[in-house]
This record gives sequence, C-alpha cells and structure tokens, in this order.
Amino acid sequence: MNKKTDLTGTSKGYKIFSVIILVAMVLFFLFPLYWIVTGSFKDRIEITAREPIWFPMDPTVENYAKLFDNPAFLWLFNIIFISAAAMVLTCITASLAGYALGKKRFIGRGVLFTIIICAMALPKQVIVIPLAQLMTFLHLKDTLWAVILPTVGWPFGVFLMKQFSESIPTEILEAARVDGAGELRTFASVVFPMIKPGIGALAIFTFVNTWNDYFLQLVMLITEEKWTLPLAIANMQGEMSTDYGLIMAGAALASVPIIIVFIAFQKYFTQGIAMGAVKG
Amino acid sequence: MNMKRPLAFLLAAGMTLGLAACGGNGGTSGSGSSGSSGSAGGSAVTLDLWAFNIGGFTEASNWDTILAAFNEQHPDITVNVTPINYQDGDQKLTSAITSNSGPDIIFEGPERIVGNYAREGLMVDLSDLWTESGSDIAEGISSVSQLDGTYYMYPLSVAAHCMAINYEVFEAAGALQYIDEETRTWSTDDFVAAMEAIKTAIDNGTVSLATPGIVYCGAQGGDQGTRALVNNLYSDYYVNDDGTSYNANSANNVKALTLLQEMVNEGSLSANASYAAADELQAFANQTCAVTFCWNYSNYTQYAEQTQFTPFAMAFPSDDSQPELEMAGPYGFGVFDKGDEAKIEAAKTFINFVCNDQTVGTEAVKTTGFFPVHADWGDVYAGDADADLRAPFALMSDYLGRYYNLTGGWTEQRALWWPMLAEILTTGADPQTAADSFVEQANANIA
Amino acid sequence: MAQTSAAAPAQGKPKKQKQSPYSGMSKALIRRETISAYFFLLPSLIFFVTFVVVPMFICVFYSFTEYGLGGVKGFAGLENYVKLFQDPIFHKGFMNTVLIVVVAVPTVTAFSLWVSSAIYKMHAIPRSFFRCVFYLPVVTGSVAITVVWKWILDPYNGILNQVAGTSGFDWLGNQKTAIWFIILILFTTSIGQPIVLYVAALGNVDQSLIEAAQVDGATKLQVFWKIKWPQIMPTTLYVLVITTINSFQCFALIQLLTKGGPLNSTMTIMYQVYDTAYRLNDLGYACAIGVVLAIIIAIFSAIQFKVAKTDN
Repeated sequence: MNKKTDLTGTSKGYKIFSVIILVAMVLFFLFPLYWIVTGSFKDRIEITAREPIWFPMDPTVENYAKLFDNPAFLWLFNIIFISAAAMVLTCITASLAGYALGKKRFIGRGVLFTIIICAMALPKQVIVIPLAQLMTFLHLKDTLWAVILPTVGWPFGVFLMKQFSESIPTEILEAARVDGAGELRTFASVVFPMIKPGIGALAIFTFVNTWNDYFLQLVMLITEEKWTLPLAIANMQGEMSTDYGLIMAGAALASVPIIIVFIAFQKYFTQGIAMGAVKG
Repeated sequence: MNMKRPLAFLLAAGMTLGLAACGGNGGTSGSGSSGSSGSAGGSAVTLDLWAFNIGGFTEASNWDTILAAFNEQHPDITVNVTPINYQDGDQKLTSAITSNSGPDIIFEGPERIVGNYAREGLMVDLSDLWTESGSDIAEGISSVSQLDGTYYMYPLSVAAHCMAINYEVFEAAGALQYIDEETRTWSTDDFVAAMEAIKTAIDNGTVSLATPGIVYCGAQGGDQGTRALVNNLYSDYYVNDDGTSYNANSANNVKALTLLQEMVNEGSLSANASYAAADELQAFANQTCAVTFCWNYSNYTQYAEQTQFTPFAMAFPSDDSQPELEMAGPYGFGVFDKGDEAKIEAAKTFINFVCNDQTVGTEAVKTTGFFPVHADWGDVYAGDADADLRAPFALMSDYLGRYYNLTGGWTEQRALWWPMLAEILTTGADPQTAADSFVEQANANIA
Repeated sequence: MAQTSAAAPAQGKPKKQKQSPYSGMSKALIRRETISAYFFLLPSLIFFVTFVVVPMFICVFYSFTEYGLGGVKGFAGLENYVKLFQDPIFHKGFMNTVLIVVVAVPTVTAFSLWVSSAIYKMHAIPRSFFRCVFYLPVVTGSVAITVVWKWILDPYNGILNQVAGTSGFDWLGNQKTAIWFIILILFTTSIGQPIVLYVAALGNVDQSLIEAAQVDGATKLQVFWKIKWPQIMPTTLYVLVITTINSFQCFALIQLLTKGGPLNSTMTIMYQVYDTAYRLNDLGYACAIGVVLAIIIAIFSAIQFKVAKTDN
C-alpha cells in the first residue's frame, strides 16, 4: 500500500479509470432509450437500413399514426390503471399487515413470517394454471382485476413493511395505548406517519413492478380492449411481420411518460426507495 | 373433467372470503365480456367465437359485415368475436379451456381443431353439416376434417403454402434462368445454382442484400415452410406412408438436410436460430434476403405496400421438379362441446351460414385471401380487379401434396423440429444423428 | 371493526419469564394481541391466501395428476416427478437458472456497490444524473427494453453487427452467446434500484468513524471493509433479495427474445413451466415442475434469511 495516494487514499489512475468506466456505462444504459426514441421517428427505409443510421435524417410520424390506428391510449390507460390500483391496494394491505408482523407478538407469527419469506420469491408462473381457473371462477378473467388482485396477494410488500415497522419505538405505541387510543387510532395517528416513507417506497416498487409484470398481463388479458401497452407492443411482433418502427413508437409511448414522471419526481422516488431499505 | 366439481367447491370455500373482500372494487371495471352467461331469456343465444388472424381477418373488423348479415337472418343469435393470434393464441386457448372459459366456436385449421382439441374429446360432431352440404368438398380436405370417421371441423377456404423470390434481384443476378416462370417450379439443382448466383452477385456488389436466403430455426409458427423445403428437395415425406413414424431421418430427408447444411456453410443460404417466420418474411420484404420460405396470398397482400420489388411466388424446389406443397388450412370452424344444446345448434347455424351461403361465404373466403373449399363455387375471384394477382396462388393449389398435420404428437414434434434444424444448420451437427434423435423423440408421442 | 377499541389496561406487568417471544406478556394480552394482529393481517391474508396459497395447493394437487386439455384424466402418482428427473430439458433449465442467479446476483450487487461508491460523494446534480441514468431501464419497462434489444441484436438490421462489422452473426441464435445477452439485459434492468439504495446507505455511514480511521492511516480499502461494509450490510441483504427475485422471474426477456432457445440454451425452470403448460398442453407435468421450482426457491430464500440473521 505504498502507492502514491491522495488524502482519501485513492490513486489518480484509479480515478481516471472509474470515470472512463462510468461514462461508458452511462452511454451503454442510455443507448437503448435513445434507440427507442429515434427509431420511432425513422421511416421504413432507415429502420431496415443495413448500415448504421444514428439519427433519423428524414423524421416521420408515420409510426405514431399507425400506432394510434389502434386504441393505444386505452392500452396506456389500462396499464396505468392496473399499476395504480395494485399500488394502492398493496400499500393499504401491506402496511397494516407489516405493522402487525413487525410490532405485535401473536400466536402464529413465526410460522406466518416463514411462509411469507418462502412465498416472496415465488414466480407467478408456478401457480398460473390454478390462478387462471380461479379468475374464471370469480368471473374476473379478461378483466384488469385479474392482473391486479394476484399482484396484491404477493407478500413482498408485507415483508418490506414489516422490516420498516420494526423501527417504530415500542414505547411510543405503549404510550398511545396508555392514553387509551384504540388499535386503529394508534395505527392511523402514530404508526402511519412513521412508516410513511416506507409506504412511499412500497408504492413506487409496486407500481414499477406491476407495470413490468408482462407475464400476468399475457395470461389474463385476452380481448384487445383489455390489453395493456406492454402487452400490445409484444403482440406487434406479429406472426408474419416485425415492424420495428411501429414497435419503437409503442415502446416510446409506454416508456417516455413514465420516465418524465420519474425525472420530475426523482427526489421522492429515490428518497422513498432508499429510506425504505435503509431502515429495513 | 369431472375433477372440476370438487375443486370448484374447494375454491368456493376460500373464495367467498375473497369475493366479499373485492366485491367493492370488483364492479368497477365492468362485468367483463366473458359472456359465459348461458342462454338466459327465451331462445336468445350468445356465442363466443375465437378467430385466429387468418388472412384478412387479421383486421378483426372484417367480421362485422359477416355478423351483420347473419343477424339479419338470425336476430336471436349474438356472436362475439375475439381475435387471437398465433403468437400467444395457444396459451390463451389452453388457459381458457382448462378454466372452462373457452370459446364456443373456433376459427382455425385441422391442426388445432382436429389434432389438438377433437383428439381430447372437446369438440362437437359436425357430420350433419357435411352430409347436408359437403358433397362438393375435395377428398383431401374432408379427410383432414375428421378423426376416426367423425367430422369435427367444417372448412371455409384453403390454399397452398409456397415460397417467393425477389424477381428483380434474381434478374440482376442472372438467376432467372434457373426457374420455370410458367409453372413456377424449379429443380433442386436449379435452386442451388440460383442461390449461388445470388451469393456471387452480393459479393461483387451487383445486388444489395445481406444474404441470399434465411432458413429460420426459431420456434413459433411458419414451420410449414421449412418442412416443405426439406421434404421437397429430394421428394420425400415428413411422415412415413402409414403415418406411424416421423420421417426426417430417411435417406432422402437427410440428404436434403445435408444439402442445406452445405449451402449454409458456403454462404449461399443463412440459418438463424433467433429468427422466426415473421423475421424472415420481414427480411425478405426489406430486401435483406432474396427468397422467403413462408409465402401465400395472405402474406402477399400484407406486405404489398412494403415491398419495393416484385415478390414472385414459387413452388419449393424439388429434384424431379414435381413439388408437393403443404395445404394452408383448410381454415374453418369447430364447435366446443360445453353440453349446451342450444349453443351447439346456434353455432352450427352460424357455421352453415358463413361456409355454405354462397354470397356471404364468398366474401368470407375472399377475406381469408384463399380459395373456397366448395368446388361448385368456381373461381370466386373471377372478374375482380386483382384476379391476375391471385392466379399464381391458384396455380400453387395444383401442387398440393399429402397432409400430415394430424399425425399423433404433432404439437410435441413441432417443438422438436426447430432445435433439430438449428442444431444441423447453425451448429454443424451431423444431420443423420440429429434427425435420428428427432424421430426417436417425436415418435414417442405418436400413439 | 369496533371491538378493537378495548383499551389497554394490563400493560406493564412483567409476570412470567418465558424464553419465548411472548416473555412478559399475560395470557390475556397474548390473546388480545393475537386478535388485533389478525385483524390487521386480515385484508392482506385474504389476498395472499386466495391468490397465492390456495392456487399453490391446487398446483400441488395437479402435479400428481395426468392433466391435459381435456381436463384431469386421473391420478399419476409420482409419475410427473419421475419424468422430471429424467427430463434433459429440465436439467438444462435447472443449470441455466442456477447460472443466471449465480452470475447476475453477485455482479449486480458488486457493480451497483462500485458505481454507488464512485458517485455518492459527488455534487447533488451529477449524483442524481448518474442515479437517474442507471434507474432508467427499470422505468422504461421490461417489454420496451426487450424489444429494443431484439432490434439492436438483429443479425442483419441490428446496430451491434453494423458497428462491429459482423453482419449476419446471430447473437441470440447462438447457443454460447444467447444466455449471456439475457444476463446482460437482466443486469441493465436490475442495477438501478440497488444503486439508489447504496448511494443512500453510503451517505448514511458515520463520517466520524471514517475520519478517525483515516487519521490512524487506514487505506481506502481498509476503510471500506472495516467501516462501511458492516454498516451497509442491511442494504446488501435487501439488494440480494430483490435481485434474486428478479433473476428467478425474468420472463419477458426470455419469452420475447429466445423463447428458451436456441436448443434450450436459454431455457429456465420458470420458462419451462410456461412452455410445458401452454405450448405442450401438459398441465400436470407443468405443475410438477412448478412445485419443484417453488421448493428450490423456498430453500434458497430460507438460506438467505438464515445467513442474514446470523450476520446481523
């Protein structure tokens, strides 16, 4: 360790090395997005060119026109609705349950927690056959709820909120109890404010994950009016054609709005996620 | 099927809770179009038709005129059409059938209607439709619509799968000499020579393509093209004569696979395991390659506005110049047996209307882009503006060969065919060994 | 809803001294706590039981049956499980699943930690820029990212081959390269969240400890391992959990890029369940594969948490 080091113990070479790697990674991560956006404005000739066309020289909105021949806004609405509904329901159920698991000592707690841990990483593919039958039985197949409800059932949120609730000082809860506050009031006035950042993290996590859960959408949604935008994009890769211009327009519509929202609220996004986990 | 009931009870117990919980939210998104409600009031019947995107029916609104005409005569029968595609149609059907929410009618070919569903005892006997009006339907079509003597499918239209070449590229490369433009046939040697000529033309810059042709080895659809290519090169069949064994390892088929492997090695063909038929077709339309192995009239119309060249339909090359093409379709209807007589009757009425009413039927046939199964209807395209564009495809119908898509274990062998092709053409595996192993595995499901 | 208002009289009575988690709680208190706990748990449990537990039991049941399109045809006993252990596709899928998890999880963790260490001391603006960039693939969506990669990797029209001058090379159609691209894309969509977490965690590390160590002449590496690493351990565990879940469940990537091919080289157990059920219509067997996958994952999760517990 006798190398030339500066005050913080980092060599110049290492610094240059990190900057190069970072910049390379940034380019690598930005490129697919750049390619989606520029691709959506390329005409057929540029899309199918066999030499690199880095920028649409003759930008066209033809792809978007084709996209909106379809009910693309309805598809966008569907995916937003699914993600938002799953987010709200998960936040409510998981924060209640997480609090109980984190702060209450009750019979069956250990067993329940173990089951939750084991089920947390369970891929939906495993139970999809009975799940589809269940949805038919409930007359929910081919409705947006067939995607929403199983998402809410996944216990990851409960685990997250349990980790988060554990940091609530027990004394505060006891003080509330001594003051005669009922369980629900204690939750609403004491617990909820304290786990709010955690709920924020869970909300973001659930929203993004539901948005990305192509599998459940694929299995549960059948008629075109029930499709989501990601599902529709995947279906555009048709049996007999692969129109990348159209597909990129769809991908841009599916990603650009959420990216803008993300950048605008970046602070809350990242804070929420970070706080949720640091406590956990 | 009878295991469903106890299961339903088991579910019911747990579900009552679930229902109570989500009842509040459940209503919001509407009562769904699942249409599983039986024939409620009087004789009104609602039928669910799941239609694969065959030809012009890719545009689901093309069903509207047919349905409107039908409802004029049968106002008491409502037909709800759900368009499905070959990408995830099997998944949707399996999921729906196994959860009792499947359609009443399906629009597809014998491969699924007879091979998959009738074999599992899911379909209704349609023999009465056949006795009434099926007398002018060709033997080849009627034989594939039945299983053990019972008809489970009633056909609408039929065509032949063929291939196509980029006429201008062939011209520029001096490869037109290798094809018979009249009969649209070529011999195996001609095919090899033509592809070599195109490779030369690419190498010296005469034509701007990436590769002469692409053998797609990625799963999902379009397998008829690669099958026909292999089988025709040395005039053999996919399944042996009595249908008891797959035949990819026969001397002639292995010879064909070996030839393709050599062509790939020499660069007069490419093989891509990541390419499915859709990718290859798109590459053909983009002038990335000069031929496509997955062509028919429906693809021709779909790509008409994209192709900046003349896609010239051709039969598959054959050593004796006597191609035997695979039947596209016949596309038609099957009825799922859900035990509801009223629905079954209504479904038959609908099928009879679409397939046997000459006015409506002609429209439906034209929408598929294929040719009617009823010989009595004659040339339905005669007098149409695009009649001469159809002519080459009508010609292909003369080359129709054996239909073997009802051989046992068909679905399973499809899943095995692609890896075998990929193994031989992209990894250079020994054709005989790979084909032997394919046949062994495919035959395991044949019974 | 109302009976929870029963106030809390008997609280601070340190009566029995059991070693159990209920130490210091009266029987009545335990009962009351249990009732109120399940009251809080009820909404969540309804969803969990209905949409996860019950289907899981039915799935186990199906796995012992012969189940095709025509419904359950009869009991198959252990037949499906026996078949599974002889199925070369399952073996391949198992190895690939292990490969994806074993490669993706450590790389994602290590890389995100490295990136975070490099950016967490930067000014707010470049820091949020970097964080944002690495998070973008997550918000772009798995399907959108997957389809653009399919285009990038296209053998003829893909930008990768055009730039590399390897026209016609089939990255996704090659048995050796396909799975590595799956892992690479999985990597780009998995690294965002850990970076956000690590940046925050590193920012929270006690600065005075670091300064004290530096005064004592500790190298950067020593500071990291001795001071920072233990403090960010909870974050690391969390990162491991979510990355593992991500890796086990990557469906869109495989479905839209390779469908498990070529030659099953990107087949995973998870994808085989889907493929067996919906392409081959062998539902009983699909359920058996699913059950085995569930067991593998449960064991994996349990181990992860055991390790987590002892480390803490």
